Amino acid sequence: MSDIPVFFLHGLAYAGLLFLVSAGLTLVFGMMNVLNFAHAAMYMLGAYFSYSIMLHATGQFWLSLMLCPVILFVIGGLIERFLLRRVHALGHVQELLLTFGLAYIITEAVKWFWGNYPIAINIPGVLNTTIQIFGITYPVYRLFILCCAVIVGLVMAIILFKTRLGIILRAAVNDSETVNTLGVNVPLVFLGVFAFGAALSGFAGVIAGPLLTIYPGMAQEILIDAFVVIVVGGFGSLGGAVIAALFIGELQSFGVLLFPKLSMALVYMLMAAILVIKPSGLFGEKQ
Amino acid sequence: MKKNYVAYSVMVILFLLGAFMPVILKSYQMNMLTEIIIFTLYAVSYNLLLGYAGLLSFGHAMFFGLGAFVTAIAINHIPGISLINAVLFGLAATIVAGFIIGCLLLRHKGSYFALLTLAFNSLFFVVATKWSSVTGGDDGLSITRPDLNLGFTSISMTNANHFYYVALIVVGIALVFCWYFTQTAMGKSVVLMRENEERMKFLGYNTNASRLILFTFTGALAGLAGCLYALHFQFVSLSAISVDMTTAVLIMAFVGGTGTYWGPILGVFVYILLQNFLSDITDRWAFFMGLIFIFMVIFIPGGLSQVIMNLYQRFFGKKTDDNTEVEETT
Repeated sequence: MSDIPVFFLHGLAYAGLLFLVSAGLTLVFGMMNVLNFAHAAMYMLGAYFSYSIMLHATGQFWLSLMLCPVILFVIGGLIERFLLRRVHALGHVQELLLTFGLAYIITEAVKWFWGNYPIAINIPGVLNTTIQIFGITYPVYRLFILCCAVIVGLVMAIILFKTRLGIILRAAVNDSETVNTLGVNVPLVFLGVFAFGAALSGFAGVIAGPLLTIYPGMAQEILIDAFVVIVVGGFGSLGGAVIAALFIGELQSFGVLLFPKLSMALVYMLMAAILVIKPSGLFGEKQ
Repeated sequence: MKKNYVAYSVMVILFLLGAFMPVILKSYQMNMLTEIIIFTLYAVSYNLLLGYAGLLSFGHAMFFGLGAFVTAIAINHIPGISLINAVLFGLAATIVAGFIIGCLLLRHKGSYFALLTLAFNSLFFVVATKWSSVTGGDDGLSITRPDLNLGFTSISMTNANHFYYVALIVVGIALVFCWYFTQTAMGKSVVLMRENEERMKFLGYNTNASRLILFTFTGALAGLAGCLYALHFQFVSLSAISVDMTTAVLIMAFVGGTGTYWGPILGVFVYILLQNFLSDITDRWAFFMGLIFIFMVIFIPGGLSQVIMNLYQRFFGKKTDDNTEVEETT
């Protein structure tokens, strides 16, 4: 079974990607209490934008890696400011309906502009090599994804737990009204968090492009996985997201190796089991 | 009580109007009307969840698709099965599924519930995709409508108009039953639960049980609509169980208005007519449908029925007193 280390690393790489997507989702959810169904659609937008940038700027992967999060940051900010904030007063159901509708529109728009078929993106030159690790040959690109996820995770943890901004963010999660009365501009904080979440998913989309082929169904596919991460890890918990992403990444990866027919259903079974045993998730607080 | 007579008589009039339609309309339009009638049941069942109980589900298509697939599979695999039995198979499957899924999901509320219903919908979709030996996978399933055997006589279903009458009668009975349901103590308790669950609990109601019954009931209705859908098109594809089918019912119910009983019925008419109109002029009708939906969410959250009632109030002064049970309790 010399495959095991390879599949283990595959699982880690996918877990990194999943973490990048679900971290933004869980952060926005914890803070604003809005479950953003359009989150994965932004991830898809990131992937398609990077495809277009690389098409017109001849393979400038690094350029797209820097530009796409910025574009998504702006889009996310606009959505929060002009759409989400408008329906906020109408209640919870409307917010969910809005993000669900946005996801639908973005998917249709992607089909419109880029076509309803898969597109393969080449792995950028520098990263398109393999290295010897633990006695096996492994593609560098997957390790690069893992590194990105670790760096982003660490930066987020430092900001959240070591800076003044982090204190405000964590306080706003607990009680946004009190934070507001203490003189913090909470709506601005929400805007920033939402836009940051969008940028993060855009970033994930860019690095996902060369790993997986991009197609209009990719948003929904990762959305469900990200939801399972949130359910398993506990709603709004960043640490839970890390553990659950690792768990699900490995489950997917070894599922393909061991039970190729059942691999998709395994994730759902895990979710159903968690729902029965511990509905609040592994690290979630009791609702 | 007077209000109830109005509602029932409106339904009877609509039913009689429907019964005369095959005389007036061409076969192409009849096909569309049958589709509208089937989706009416689907949308009303969804509204019982969203409008009455305030449960936002993104997984209603799993019941619709399950009903459609089980009916189609029963017809293909059990030779000589009667129409009624095939539908009963589909219905039974959705009741069981609704009960089990309801037990798992109804501990959660709001966003959690919405998320989990979507996840379960994709589970159903994945199973239908992967289990292609039974569901036909991407090719879908073709079926032939069996004849309707009533014991004393057998009615051929090869004629589309005959099936139209079956759909009309089944959906008509189901809609009357739904209306009756909203008037019962159970139906009213569902609305009260949405408004103030804590208080219902203090009054001694078992809110979890009520919610489970409602969830199973609406799932079964959606499943019945799915059975009819399979029989109408004589074909079931994966799209019947996909999230897009949930989006469709969501848009139908919401465009029509979730605040009233009849809103979603109006919504289905608007949706299907609009879909036919838009798909004639552009391939991208789904995109524009989404735009309309977002626009309604932001600017007209009450849907078309809200607009109509506002207009009615403006021109006829007195407060409308047709079936606005949901509104009155808010």
